[in-house]
Parts: sequence; structure tokens; C-alpha cells
Amino acid sequence: MIRLESLSYRYAETPTTVLRQISLTIPKGQLVGVVGPSGAGKTTLAQVMSGFIPHVFGGEVTGAVTVAGRSVRNTPLPLLVSDIGLVSQNPFNQLSGAKFSVAEELAFGLENLGVPRGEMVSRVDETLRRLRIAHLAERSPYQLSGGQQQLVAIGSMMVMRPGVLVLDEPTSQLDPAGSGLVFDALGELRERGVTVVLIEHKLEQLAEVADRILALVDGELRMDGPPSTVLAADELADWGIGRTRFTAAAVAAATHWPCGRPLPVTLAEAAAGFAEGAP
Amino acid sequence: MTQDFYRPGTSLIHRWNPVTTLSLSLTLVVTAFASQALWLPAALLVFVVFPAALVSGVFRRLLAWLARFLLPVILLLFVIQGLYHQDGPLLDLGPVGVHLDGVLFATRTALRLLVLTGAFLLLLFTTHPGELMTALVAHGMPPKISYLVSATMQIVPAFRQRAHSILDAQRARGLRTAAGPIGRVRALVPLVGPLVLGALSEVDERAVAMEARAFGATTRRTSYTVIADSAAQRVSRWSMLVITIAVIVLSATGVIR
Amino acid sequence: MRPAAKIAAGTVVVLATYVYLVLERPGASGTGALVALAGYLLGSVLIGLGAVDRLSTSSVTLIPVAMAINIVVGQLALATGIPLYLDSIGIVIAGVLAGPAAGAATGVLTCVIWGLTANPTIMPFAVTAAEIGVAAGLIGMLGGFRKPWWAALAGLLTGVVSALVSAPISAFVYGGVTTSAGTTAITGAFQAYGASLFAATTLQGLLSDPLDKTVTFTVAFVILLALPARFRQRFAFARRYRVFATGVGSEGR
Ligand SMILES: Nc1ncnc2c1ncn2[C@@H]1O[C@H](COP(=O)(O)OP(=O)(O)OP(=O)(O)O)[C@@H](O)[C@H]1O
Ligand SMILES: [Mg+2]
Repeated sequence: MIRLESLSYRYAETPTTVLRQISLTIPKGQLVGVVGPSGAGKTTLAQVMSGFIPHVFGGEVTGAVTVAGRSVRNTPLPLLVSDIGLVSQNPFNQLSGAKFSVAEELAFGLENLGVPRGEMVSRVDETLRRLRIAHLAERSPYQLSGGQQQLVAIGSMMVMRPGVLVLDEPTSQLDPAGSGLVFDALGELRERGVTVVLIEHKLEQLAEVADRILALVDGELRMDGPPSTVLAADELADWGIGRTRFTAAAVAAATHWPCGRPLPVTLAEAAAGFAEGAP
Repeated sequence: MTQDFYRPGTSLIHRWNPVTTLSLSLTLVVTAFASQALWLPAALLVFVVFPAALVSGVFRRLLAWLARFLLPVILLLFVIQGLYHQDGPLLDLGPVGVHLDGVLFATRTALRLLVLTGAFLLLLFTTHPGELMTALVAHGMPPKISYLVSATMQIVPAFRQRAHSILDAQRARGLRTAAGPIGRVRALVPLVGPLVLGALSEVDERAVAMEARAFGATTRRTSYTVIADSAAQRVSRWSMLVITIAVIVLSATGVIR
Repeated sequence: MRPAAKIAAGTVVVLATYVYLVLERPGASGTGALVALAGYLLGSVLIGLGAVDRLSTSSVTLIPVAMAINIVVGQLALATGIPLYLDSIGIVIAGVLAGPAAGAATGVLTCVIWGLTANPTIMPFAVTAAEIGVAAGLIGMLGGFRKPWWAALAGLLTGVVSALVSAPISAFVYGGVTTSAGTTAITGAFQAYGASLFAATTLQGLLSDPLDKTVTFTVAFVILLALPARFRQRFAFARRYRVFATGVGSEGR
């Protein structure tokens, strides 16, 4: 569904290569987490995967990017976006501004695609309910809290039902309950066959939902594997990505963690390990 | 500063399709400027604008805002035009005099300005700007214009808030609010710089967000919001259009004086 | 109609209105007011429609930000009590980065939004705002934004044109009066010396507009200089006409 072949990228008018020689294939219906320190190139990667690089940002791309069977470079942007959604980092800038209520804001993308009104209404209602923002439907999107705006931004993409959904730190301003809601919704999308790429700092929640984790450091893909191996890796702390509380607890427990057992990244793994290690 | 002119309401005019109200406003303005007769703008004011404002429950606000926008202008108008007009004085007061022509001219201009401003305030008081835009798009205005107007209206408050926080930060750092015009311009620079640069640096992200929502798509758009309309309103809009064009033609050809 | 044809038609309507008012001297009481109002209204609607049609999505997203800059900076200038409007900095920035059409659209719509949100009496001046945007775009095309003194001079010239364009509205619609007692008194004084109302508002405009626009263009120049080069080069218009001197301005972020 998403395929990068030795992709490198440099922004226009800048000397540094921001993404270097990245190759990976994400099959349909996989939920992939992307972790990396600030400035690693995560946002840039998200824009490559959704076609805004090079279509909006220009710059120099080498290598190939294929999304949903289409070469990103050779497909016009309007065609690309009909099947790829991007939720970008700052929810304030994600709001269209064209609409004065949350419900209309959610419908904006559907209007542009020419979706018939009846279907539009039912999709908007479903999204409002799914993200538990139905009570905000008539409010102005600009009078919401950052977290609520983030939910609206996510909803405005979900409602378009793209086959590939890329989200750039979509829960940064949400409380744990709100983030939980988003993670659950993304899990459901995966079950429906949507390919999800999720850039996220909340490692513990990521470990619960992701099928696979990419670790991006200095524009290089340093690790690519299941959460239990990537998130438990020692290097993560050195790269400034941090580790889950469960991994940290097992490391701190030192000899109490069963010898030879992989470090835990979820509550269940930690509980099982400590139960085994207990005298 | 920016007003929220619109207040929700249930009056007849509130329930009109926004394009009908807009047509009424434009027809009023054009008619008021079409003739030299003083009675015409006065009649429009007394028999159309004011009753419409009464019906929609905005009469007091209309008067208050008319006074606010036009009272100083009208006073100046009478002083300047009353005193400076070229023909012989009506009243000789030594160095200055009151001229009949000037007074007539000032009265006519004042009445026209009252209709111009009153008609538009009536529109703004009874029509939500978002609905006005949606209705205009339904009547063929390019959606880009609707986007431009709505988006600006919504980001201005956020920018203003940022301006205030930059201002506060600079006050906290001990930057004095300087005296004198040059000093004040200088004081603006550290404020305007970060504000504008910050705003412009967000343009890319906004462009991406719009493209992601298929804003660049060439498909025929549909509309989520349906704005009520009626055959009677459609007929009245067409008649107002005909009246407006007729008035312009008659006035330009000198039939109406 | 094609976009370019709309812009051309709008410009012709505005110019024809102006020429008619200058040549026919219909007087403020007669048809002058209606012709000025209707001609300028139709002209700015046509220019606005044509200009918006031509815009790419990235120019379209620049414009609300540019308009917000106009409004917020204009209000700040007002609040600090300096004798300048400074309410068209965003128009100049949009024109220079994204071209005359973007500048014109920014100008017309700024007036519309001022009208919708703050003061409806300002709307008849939309044509002047469009003129400033078009001028900024053309000046950028000719390289006027590569050196500060050229930008300042361009502002001065734009101000002269603005004064000429807005004079009929000031005279025929507003009877030579503005909310500012100072400028109104100047107009009155010119009339007292025998100038017609139209001539008086033209002269008054020539006293204030060129200064304001010189400052506006200079401020816009400084702001554009401070933008990262990659941002300035993002706009096809700025790249195509090499609006900015290369190697000037800060790099990176
Ligand atoms: N539009 C741009 N033009 C030039 N350089 C850019 C641009 N956007 C980002 N960069 C640079 O590219 C590098 C990667 O940035 P990116 O935003 O992709 O990192 P990130 O991993 O998303 O960081 P964060 O966690 O802070 O969001 C950084 O060094 C940044 O300075
Ligand atoms: Mg980022």
C-alpha cells in the first residue's frame, strides 16, 4: 500500500538532506507507529507518504514513492488526496476556516469531493459520535480547546474515508481519555482495512495498538520491527526517544526481571514478567 | 475593533435568504444615490430601512451604530460644506457665511450616507456572515471567495490575541510604550515583525491542510448546509435587480434628476 | 468569461468611470455619486472575481493570512495613535509574493471584510485597495523589491495613484468628509481657495496617501527581507519574475 525505495529528500533552498535512503513497504491494513526525536524528519516523512512532498513543498526527491499503487510523483495531487489523508501537527492550521460550525467543518472535504448531501450528513453524524464530539457540532471550531480542535482535525480526515491515513502527533494536546479515544478509533480503522501511519510520542499507547514501529533518527530509518522489539531496544533512550514506563521498570528492577526474558513494552508483558520473577 | 454585528433572531428578515437581504440593501443604496431630490433618500430611510429594522428588532442598535459611524461625519459635512461652498452666502457672518447650496449639498450627502450605512447594517445585523457566504456560493459565487472571507474573519481574533501576548511579553521585558509619532512607529516594529513572520510561516501548513481536504479538486461541489429560499423571494430578487438596473439607466441618461 | 477578461473588463469599467467623472464634471449632486459608486462597485466585483479565479491553492491560503495582517496591524497603528493607516501591508506582501491578481483579491476582500466586521462605510474604497495590490505585484515583477529605495519610491507612486483613484469616492459619495477632522479641514481649505470638491479631495489625497504608502511599502520590504528565502521562493510568481535579489535575507530556520 505504501512503498518507499531508497528515498532521499532535501527541502528547496537548504543544503541538508532531511531523509536519507529510506526503503520500506507497508501492506494494506497495517497500523505503523513512527517514533523519533525532534527534528528527526518525522513530519517530512509524513508529507512524503501523503504526496505533499514534492507537490506542495518542492525540493529534491530521489528514489521512488508509491502509495495505493500510484507513483506519487506522477499523480496529480487532487487524485492522490482522494485516497490519502494527512492530519498535520498543528490543529489550528488544520481547520479550514471556511466554516463556522464543527459539523460544517467536518463536511468541508466531502463537499469538495462532491459527496451527495444525504451521505454527507450520515458520515458527519457517525464521525461526531465516534469521536464523542456530537455536543460540539454547532460550536465554532475556533472557540474550542486545542484538544477538541485536534479531534475535529482527525474527524475531518476520517470522514473522508481514505484508504491510507497518516497522522502527525494527533494526540499532542489531548488528555489520556481523549488520546485513548483516538487510538481506539484508529484501531477500528485498521480492522476495516485502512492503512494507518501514526507519528506519536506516547510510546505506551502506541505499543498497545501498533503492528509495527519505525524508529527515525537524523533522517535515517534506524529500526523497523514489531513494538515488542523496537520499543524495548536499548538504543531508544540514547536517541532521545525514551522508553515506556514498563520497560523502564523492568530495567530498574534489574535482577528481579527474569533473566533472558525480553523487556516489556505493555502492561500485560510487564505483569507477566514480574509475576514470573516474583519469588 | 471587530464587531459581531449579527445576533440570532427569528424575525421575518432573519429568516430571509441572505441573498434577498443583500439585494434589498444594494437596491436601497443605488436608489438613494440616483436622484438629487432630498425626499427620495429620506423616504427610503423612513419607509424602508427603519420599518425593516423595527420588524427585525434591531432598530435601537441601528440608530446607535448609525450615530457612531456617521454623526461626526455629518457634523463635519455641514460645517465644511455649509461654510465653504462657492456661491453667494445665505447668511453673512463676516469672514464666514452659510451657503444655501452648501447646506442642501450637505443634507443630501448626509441622507444618502444614512441609507448606505443603514442598509448595510440591516444586512449585517440580521445575517450570519457564514450563511451569507454559503448562500452566495449557492448562487454561483466561486467557493474560493467564500473561503477567503470566512477564513480571514476567523483567524483575525486569533492573530489579535497573539499581538496582545507579544505586546505583553515586550512590556514585561521593559520595553516602554514610547511617546511621539516616530517613537511609536519604532515601538510597532518589534511587535509587527514577529507577528507577521509567525503568521506567514503557517501558510505552508494551511495549504497542505486545504489540499488534504480536496480543496483543489475539480469535481462538482455539493453543499452540506441548505439555506431556505422561496419562490416569492426569488421573484422579489429579480424585481429588485430590474429596479436597480432601471434606476441606474434612467439616472445616467438624465431621465431622473 | 475568462479570468483575465474579467480583470480587464473590471479595470476598463473603473478607468471609464474615472475618465467620465473627470471629463463630464457631473457634480456631486447629480449623477456623479451614482456613477462613482456603481462604476467602482461593478469594477471591483469584476476584478475580484477574475483575480480569485487565477489563484493557486497556495496563493489562496496566503490571502487570509495577508488580510489578517492588514486588519491586525491596521488596528495596532490606530491604537498607538500614529498618523498613518498602515492597513495595507498585507496587500503589498500578497501582491509581491503571489502576483497582481493575488494582490487585487487581497485588496478587494480586505475592504469587504472590514465592511462585514467593523465598518460598512469603508466598502466603496475597494477599488483603491485593489489598485495597491496590483501595483505591488507589477512593481515586484519589475524588480522594485530588490532594493529598499526602489520599494519606497514605488510606494510613493502607488500612493499618488491611490489618491487619484479614491478622490471621486471621497468627493461624490462622502462629500469630501472623512472621520478625521484634520483631513476634512484640508479638503475644506482647498475648496475655500476655489478648488472644486473633486479637485479638493484629490489634492487632500495627494498630501496623505503617498506618505502612507511609502511607509507601507518600506515596512513590507523589511518584512519580506526577514522571511526565510525558502518561504519567498515557495511562490511560483516570485520565482518566475525573480522578484527578490538572490543571496539577500536569512537562510534556514
Ligand atoms: N519547510 C522546510 N524547509 C526546510 N527545512 C525544513 C522544513 N521543514 C523542516 N525542515 C527541517 O527538516 C528537518 C526535519 O524536520 P521535521 O519537521 O520533519 O522533524 P520532526 O521529526 O517532525 O520534528 P518534530 O518532532 O519537532 O515535529 C529539521 O532539521 C527541520 O529544520
Ligand atoms: Mg514534526
